[in-house]
Amino acid sequence: MVAILGAGVTPFGKHLERSIVSLAIEALQAALQDSGLPKERIQACYFANALAPMLFGDSSVGQNVTAAAGLDGIPVVNVENACTSGSTAFYLARNAILAGECDVALVLGAEKMCVPGFGLINSGASELDTQMGLVTPASFALRAHRHMHEFGTTPEQLAAVTVKSRHHAALNPLAQLRQTETLAQVLASPMIADPLTRSQCCPVADGAAALILTSADVARGCRRAVQVAASILTSGQYHAPQDLVRWETDYRSAALAYEKAGIGPQDLDLVECHDAFTISEILHYEALGLCAPGDGGAYVEAGHASLGGRVPVNVSGGLLSRGHPIAATGVAQLAELVTQLRHEAGPRQVDKCRTALAHCMGGDKAGDTKSCTITVLSRS
Amino acid sequence: MHVPDTLPPVQAGIFSDEEPPRLLGGYCAACDFYQFPRQDYCPRCLRGLQERALGGTGVVYSVTTVRVRPPLGLPQPYAVAYVDLDEAPLRVFGLIDPGQCESIRIGDQVALKVLPVGLNQQQQACLRPCFYRPTHQE
Repeated sequence: MVAILGAGVTPFGKHLERSIVSLAIEALQAALQDSGLPKERIQACYFANALAPMLFGDSSVGQNVTAAAGLDGIPVVNVENACTSGSTAFYLARNAILAGECDVALVLGAEKMCVPGFGLINSGASELDTQMGLVTPASFALRAHRHMHEFGTTPEQLAAVTVKSRHHAALNPLAQLRQTETLAQVLASPMIADPLTRSQCCPVADGAAALILTSADVARGCRRAVQVAASILTSGQYHAPQDLVRWETDYRSAALAYEKAGIGPQDLDLVECHDAFTISEILHYEALGLCAPGDGGAYVEAGHASLGGRVPVNVSGGLLSRGHPIAATGVAQLAELVTQLRHEAGPRQVDKCRTALAHCMGGDKAGDTKSCTITVLSRS
Repeated sequence: MHVPDTLPPVQAGIFSDEEPPRLLGGYCAACDFYQFPRQDYCPRCLRGLQERALGGTGVVYSVTTVRVRPPLGLPQPYAVAYVDLDEAPLRVFGLIDPGQCESIRIGDQVALKVLPVGLNQQQQACLRPCFYRPTHQE
C-alpha cells in the first residue's frame, strides 16, 4: 500500500509578490521537513498547475520548480485536469509507486490566480455553452434552482453550508476567509447568480500544497505514515440529458471509490469535498451517501456536517473558506486528511479520525464534470 | 427592433434562417443519436453526423439570472437556462431573451427567437438564439 509521509501547505490567499515557483518551494520545504526524508530521495515529481499557460504564458512550470529546488534529472510530469489537477497528480504518483517505477514521489500543486480582471471561470472559450454565457457560478446556480424545485431545499439551507465553512476556517490558520458569517450575512451578500450569493462561491486564491508519497517499504516503521486505501479518477458522460441534481458522475465515482477501498460511507470519520459553491457540497453529501438523495439541505442544517457532527465535512474550511487555488486544492485536501488522521489538527481535530475521504471535481462540459477524483486515506 | 441581417451568428450552423428559427443539431440514424451542438462524428459509432433540425420549443428544466459583470458583451443581468426540447431527446443550454430575464421559471413553455445579443469571439456584435415565453401564456 502506498503511504504519505509528508504534507505541506502554504497559506491560501493573495500572494501578489510571490511567484508560482516560490509558493511551490515553500510547500515542498514543509512537506519534506514533515516527512523526515532528504530531498535527494525524491525520484519523480508530479506537478499540477492549471492557469499559468492562460494567465502568464508559462507552460511546463514543473521543471521550473524542480530546477529551482535542485531536483535535477528526475522525471517531471506536468498535470492539468481543471480543479482536479492536484488530485490527478496524486493519482498518477500513486500509480507510479504501485507499478514499482519509484519509491518516493513528490506531488505538488501550485496556482497563482489573483490577477487583475481575472473574471469568472468558464467551460473553455471555444465551447458553445461558454459563448452562450455559461460561467461556472451559473452552472451551479442552475443545479441549485433545480434542487430547490425538486426537493424543497431552501436559501437558508444553502447558506448554512457557508456558515459552517467559516466556523471551520476560523480554526485553520492557513485558510483565506476566517471571519465567521451569520446566515443573514451570507444571504445578504451580493447576488452572483440566483440563488447563489457571493459568500456561497469560493474565492480565487494563490497557494501551493505538496505531498511526499512512498512505497510501503520506505514507510515501514514511520509512525506518522498515512495509508492510501483508494485513489480513483473518472470523467463524465456527455451524451444524454443530464440530471443536474442526481449527478451520475458523482454517484458513480463514489461507488467506485468505496468499492476499491472496501468501505462504505458509514466508515468515514471525515470528508473534504469539492465545495466550490454551497450547492456543490449539498450534492456531494448525497452522492457520497452521507444522506439520502434530496436530503442534503436538511443534513447541513441539522449540523451533521459540522465539526462534532456525524461526519464532519470540510473542516479545513473547504474551497469556500480555505480558498481555491485551482491546482493546489486537490493536494491541500489530502494534506488536511493527513493532518487529521495523525491527530495533529489542534482545535479543529476530528475525534477518533481513522478513515477519511477527499473528493474533487474539475471542469464543466455538457452539464457534467470533466473529471472527478476520490481518495480514501486511513491510519491505524 | 431592427435586426440587421448582416450580423454573424455567434457560431455557424446552430440555428436555421427561418421564422420561427429552429435549433440545428446532429443526428446519427444508425445509433438513433441526437446531439447539440453538432460535431463531425457520432460519439457512439464514429460515423459522420447528419444535420438535423431540433425545433425551437421546449420546457425550462432550470434557470438562473447572472448578475455579475457579464462576459462577451452580454447584458447585465442576463439569464440562462437548460431547456428540454419538445422535438428531440435533448436538454440544451441557452440564453433567455434579455427582456424576460427576471420572469422565466422552471416548467415554463418556451420558444426560440434570434436576437442581436453581445459579441462573438472576434469581438463583433452577433446574433444569438434566445428562449422566450410567448406572451399568450401570460
